[in-house]
Amino acid sequence: MIDEIFLSQLKQSVDLFLPETILVATFIIALIFDLIYKNSRYLIAVISIIGLVFSGIFLVNQSTSSAAIFSGMLSFDPFGNFFKILILLTTIIIVLMSVFSKELYEGGRKTGEYYILIVGMTFGMFLLAVANNLIIVYLAIETMSISSYILAGYTKEIKRASEASLKYVIFGAVSSGMMIYGISLIYGLTGSLTFDAINSAMISSDISGLTLLIAGLMIIAGIGYKISAVPFHFWTPDVYEGAPITITAYLSVASKAAGFAVLIRFLKVSFFDSTNYANDEIWTLIGTIDWQIVIAILSVLTMTLGNLVALWQTNMKRLLAYSSIAHAGYILMGVVVMTDIGVTSVLIYFFVYMIMNLGAFLVVMIIANKTGNEDIQKYNGIGHKAPFVSACMVIFLISLTGLPPTAGFIGKWAVFTAVLKSEYIWLAVVGVLNSVVSLYYYVKIFRNMYIRNFEDDSEIYEFSPGTYILLIILAVPTLIFGIYFTPLLDWAESSVKIFLGV
Amino acid sequence: MIETYLPLIFMLVFAFAVAFIFMILSEWIGAKRTTPEKVTTYESGMVPRGTARERFSVKFYLVAMSFIVFDIEVIFMYPWAVSFNETGLAGLIGMIIFVIILLAGLIYEIRKGGLKWD
Amino acid sequence: MSLIDIAFYFFAILIIASAYIVVTSKNIMYSAFALLFTFFGVAGIYVLLNADFLAITQIVIYIGGILVLIIFGVMLTNRITGVDIKTGTMSKFQIWMTAILCVIAAIGLILIFTQTNWNTALSPTKASTIEDIGTLLLTDYLIGFEIASVLLLIAIIGAALIARRKTN
Repeated sequence: MIDEIFLSQLKQSVDLFLPETILVATFIIALIFDLIYKNSRYLIAVISIIGLVFSGIFLVNQSTSSAAIFSGMLSFDPFGNFFKILILLTTIIIVLMSVFSKELYEGGRKTGEYYILIVGMTFGMFLLAVANNLIIVYLAIETMSISSYILAGYTKEIKRASEASLKYVIFGAVSSGMMIYGISLIYGLTGSLTFDAINSAMISSDISGLTLLIAGLMIIAGIGYKISAVPFHFWTPDVYEGAPITITAYLSVASKAAGFAVLIRFLKVSFFDSTNYANDEIWTLIGTIDWQIVIAILSVLTMTLGNLVALWQTNMKRLLAYSSIAHAGYILMGVVVMTDIGVTSVLIYFFVYMIMNLGAFLVVMIIANKTGNEDIQKYNGIGHKAPFVSACMVIFLISLTGLPPTAGFIGKWAVFTAVLKSEYIWLAVVGVLNSVVSLYYYVKIFRNMYIRNFEDDSEIYEFSPGTYILLIILAVPTLIFGIYFTPLLDWAESSVKIFLGV
Repeated sequence: MIETYLPLIFMLVFAFAVAFIFMILSEWIGAKRTTPEKVTTYESGMVPRGTARERFSVKFYLVAMSFIVFDIEVIFMYPWAVSFNETGLAGLIGMIIFVIILLAGLIYEIRKGGLKWD
Repeated sequence: MSLIDIAFYFFAILIIASAYIVVTSKNIMYSAFALLFTFFGVAGIYVLLNADFLAITQIVIYIGGILVLIIFGVMLTNRITGVDIKTGTMSKFQIWMTAILCVIAAIGLILIFTQTNWNTALSPTKASTIEDIGTLLLTDYLIGFEIASVLLLIAIIGAALIARRKTN
């Protein structure tokens, strides 16, 4: 079994796996340092940042070629690389945000494990972005989930955090149970777990449609839970409200990104004709199941419910939770198209969504550091107490609504053009209507900040310089990518290549 | 295939039979002279006190939780040990990495006092 | 009826009967112990499927580990007998809906399992699958194997972190 060929392939695989290896090494080194230096406040955060940056350097320098690594268990390709870079950027921003979080350090809480687990979660998401085998998908989802369960309940003395963690575990267990059942059905149907082998089994033999539909739905349910698509979203509001704000922001961007990466890869590699290499832009479905309709229904449900329920929210974290559900719906619209243009739009939207959503959560965290909670009422008059922070919030809100001249507009524009180019005109109409609805609740925050109850004890909030720098780091790209978006487009277009197997 | 498990089946049947026969025999042949001491709950010779329905300390649970993780680790070692001749040095290195990663967990557990009783 | 058929029906009845007790018993300790027989029956089915390694795993991890954990969990509560497991908030309508859904799910699953054209393989002639599993774990599935160790490490940290008393 173990011969020269295997060993040389293994060596190549290990070389390409370097960013992930660095993450695991960082994880263990940070764990040991945490045991030695028990009382340091920021040491583990610094170690994590160093590890993440190193991993990022190797990630960016990796070649743009595609290869199957570790006996086809993982696919190394530009598509996976894009998501890995996105996840890594999110992680770095979240770690920096966490350093300024008051909630997290309250009462002298030890935060070593917090950063360690974030690194572990990043490792799980990296794997999810490149997984090409359902067993690896399952392991990666579990690695990511178990870290996130603990992180959601990290401030365990606070009741709502423990509650959030528990709810997350229970829903997560059910969804991963469903997923592994779906995986077993797929294995029974095709006799394989690797995406490309599933694909060739589907081309060569007659697959029972009903069973495939149920198996696929079960797997989509497992992934849908991670991207909080309706009807698998029930945990989202409670967990987002209960978890520390930094973790809420992290879950709303990074774990969604990983979920979308694996969803697109699984659909594309398994269910589309891979023998038709000539024209990559047109994906031909194989089998009798129209997965586009399935995803389209998910997308409509997700964005409509997310937007409608967000209208009634009075807690900022809950509001942003529903808003993030709605955004998952918009991104699913790009998945529905199922062409290279669709995937490009998903990539663009995701990058933009990362910046603006992290920005919005950063503002919520900064304000909560001062006021102690995230109630929307507390935002009354913030526009006068903290002018700069509020101005940034306005930028993020405009961007989240999807209006020019912000990056959010570019994301929406990319997704809507992709949908209009396909035959799903009605989906684009639903999407536009939803954007209009979303305007209402974003404006509500704006109104509270600037117009409502301007109290005359105009106390000015002071913030640390670090938070200002972070805010600028997030607010400036939100504006710049709204005006000068060519690099983003180019990067996304060069990253749509999904490795289809040998 | 079933032949492979024949000894196991015999052992199971034998174990059940022995237990069952002894119980029935002692019920039939045994003398039944009851004294108050004999009918009390058996507590290894101590005089029983309190109810048996006491709450257990949560510490048992914590140890059991750590136990499961290491239990799973051992289960992974078994197939490696059996296939050692085939996988050889590369397999050994793979296993060493596996163990080192988990060793970090054990060190963590010990240093954080996860295995301390008090 | 061959010996294997008899063994299969024995384990199947064992699983279903003990699972019924798990669900319906008023005493959660009885439920926990009935679960022992469910796990054991599943291990027996694995043996009949020639999956000896899975059977061992089932016994070592489920019976030896998880069941012990469940029983400890039961013993953490001070009311073992007479615990009403039903939440009591179910209306008649909900109960009926659940029942109908369960029946539909059951019929659907039976249909799937009988109608589907499964990708079947001949059962291996080898006496034991453990050696093959070991080789595969360290060659093709090497990466999954190493990920599992990271997953377990995270689980250890998480368990220790959540369980630890509030630091002073």
